[in-house]
Amino acid sequence: MTDAADAQPNSQPHPRLFDRQLVARCLAQDALAERALYDAHVDRIYRLMYRMGGDADLAADFTQETFIRAFERLEQFRGDSSLATWLHTIAVSVALNGMRKVKRTQGRTETIDDVPSLAAEAFRFTGDLKARLHAAIDALSEKLRPVFVMHDVEGYTHEEIAGSLGIPVGTSKARLFDARAKLRIALAAFAGDHIA
Amino acid sequence: MNDDRIDELLAQGARDYNEPGPIPRDEMWARIQASRRAAPVVPVRHDARSSRPIWMWSSVGIAAALILAAGITIGRRVERATPTSVAPVAVTPIVAQPTRDSAPATRATTVANRDSLIGKLREQTNNTNRRARELANAQDRTTGAPAETNLAYHLVVLQHLAGSEAMITAFRTAARRGEMDAQLATWSRELLSTTRMLESSAATQDPTMKRLLEDLDLVISQIVQYVTHGTNNSEDLDLIEQSITTRGVITKLRGTASARNSAAGT
Repeated sequence: MTDAADAQPNSQPHPRLFDRQLVARCLAQDALAERALYDAHVDRIYRLMYRMGGDADLAADFTQETFIRAFERLEQFRGDSSLATWLHTIAVSVALNGMRKVKRTQGRTETIDDVPSLAAEAFRFTGDLKARLHAAIDALSEKLRPVFVMHDVEGYTHEEIAGSLGIPVGTSKARLFDARAKLRIALAAFAGDHIA
Repeated sequence: MNDDRIDELLAQGARDYNEPGPIPRDEMWARIQASRRAAPVVPVRHDARSSRPIWMWSSVGIAAALILAAGITIGRRVERATPTSVAPVAVTPIVAQPTRDSAPATRATTVANRDSLIGKLREQTNNTNRRARELANAQDRTTGAPAETNLAYHLVVLQHLAGSEAMITAFRTAARRGEMDAQLATWSRELLSTTRMLESSAATQDPTMKRLLEDLDLVISQIVQYVTHGTNNSEDLDLIEQSITTRGVITKLRGTASARNSAAGT
C-alpha cells in the first residue's frame, strides 16, 4: 500500500523490512509494537470497512475482527506481500462474510446478484442522482463492488486490490470495467432527465 | 448526456459514497485487547491418523469414482476424435473401496485402502501433469494450435479438473476433522503445479476455462499453504471455504463434468 496510512518513519530503510521488524516485535509480545502496527493500518482499514459496510458500528466491528484475526495469525505472515496487503486480505474477507451475515439476519432472501432489481425498484422513487449512484454501487455484485470501492472510492491500485482479493491484476481491471459499465447504465437511464 | 459527463458524475458521486466519519481508534483498540485477553487457547492438533474416522474417506471414494467415469469418457472421446499423433490421456481404473465399516478389526485395512486410493489419485495427477508437459513441449516446437492439440489440451484439463475436485473434497473432509497428512500435502502441490502449467498453455484460449483455472490456482494455493504449515487454524480454513464458495469452484467443476458427460453421451 502506498498512502499516508502506510508511511513509515524516515529511519526505516524499506517498508518490507519495517513490516518484518514490526511483526517480529509483536510476536515477541511487545505491546508498543502491537499498538504501532494497529496505528499504522487502522485508518485505512476502517475507511474501507466503512465504505463496504456503510455503517459506523459495522465498520468498527469489521475493523476489530480484522486486527483480532491478524494478531492471532501473525506468525503466518511471511513477508511475501506487504503487511498492509496481508491485513487487507483479512479485512476484505471479514467484511464480505460480515455483510452476508447481516443480510441473513435482516431476513433478506435475495442473493447478492439479485439485488440490482431491488435497486432498480428504488430508483423509481429516488429523485437524486447521487443517491441513485450510491444505490447502484450498493447493488453491484459481490465480485464487482469491492473492486470498485477500493479503486474508484478509496484510490487503491489494481496491484493492491489484486493482492488483497487474491485475484490477478487483469481480473481486477476487468471487474472495475464491468462495475463502471453497470453504473454508467444506471446513471444514464436517469441522468438524461435529471440533467436536461 | 455524453459518456464524459457520465464519467464525471460517476467520479464525483463515488467520492462521497459511504463517507466515513471520525475513526474510533482507541475504542476499537480497547475492544481488540479485551477480546484477545478473553480468547481461549486452542491446542494445535498434529497427526491424528489413529483416530481418523473411516467414513470421511467415503467422499474421496466417490470423487475417485467420478474420476474413473471421467477417465472412461475421456478415453472414449480420445479414441474417437484424436489422430494417432496425439496420445490419449492415460487412465487407470480406480475402484472405491467400501469404507463405512468402523469395526476396529477392519480399521487397518481401511486405512491401507484409503492410502492406496489417494496414491492412485496422485498417480492420475502425475499422468495429467506429464501429459500437459508433453503437450506444452510439442506446442513449443510447432506454430499455431492444431485442432487435435486443442482437443488434447481440453481433455487434459478435464482430467485435471476431476482430480482437483477429488483433492478439494478430500481436503475439506480432512480439514473439518483437523487431520492432514503428507500425502494430501504432496497431492495438492502436484495439482497446483499442473494448474499453473495449464494456465500458461493453449488451454486458456477458452475464457471460461481460463477463469476456472485461475480460481483453482487460488484455492489450491491456499490449500497448499494450509496443509504445509499444518496449523489447523479455523480462520484459515474459513478463508479457503470462502474462496471455494464465493468463486463457486465446486459448482463449476461439477458443471464442467456434467457438460463433459453430456457431450460424450454418458
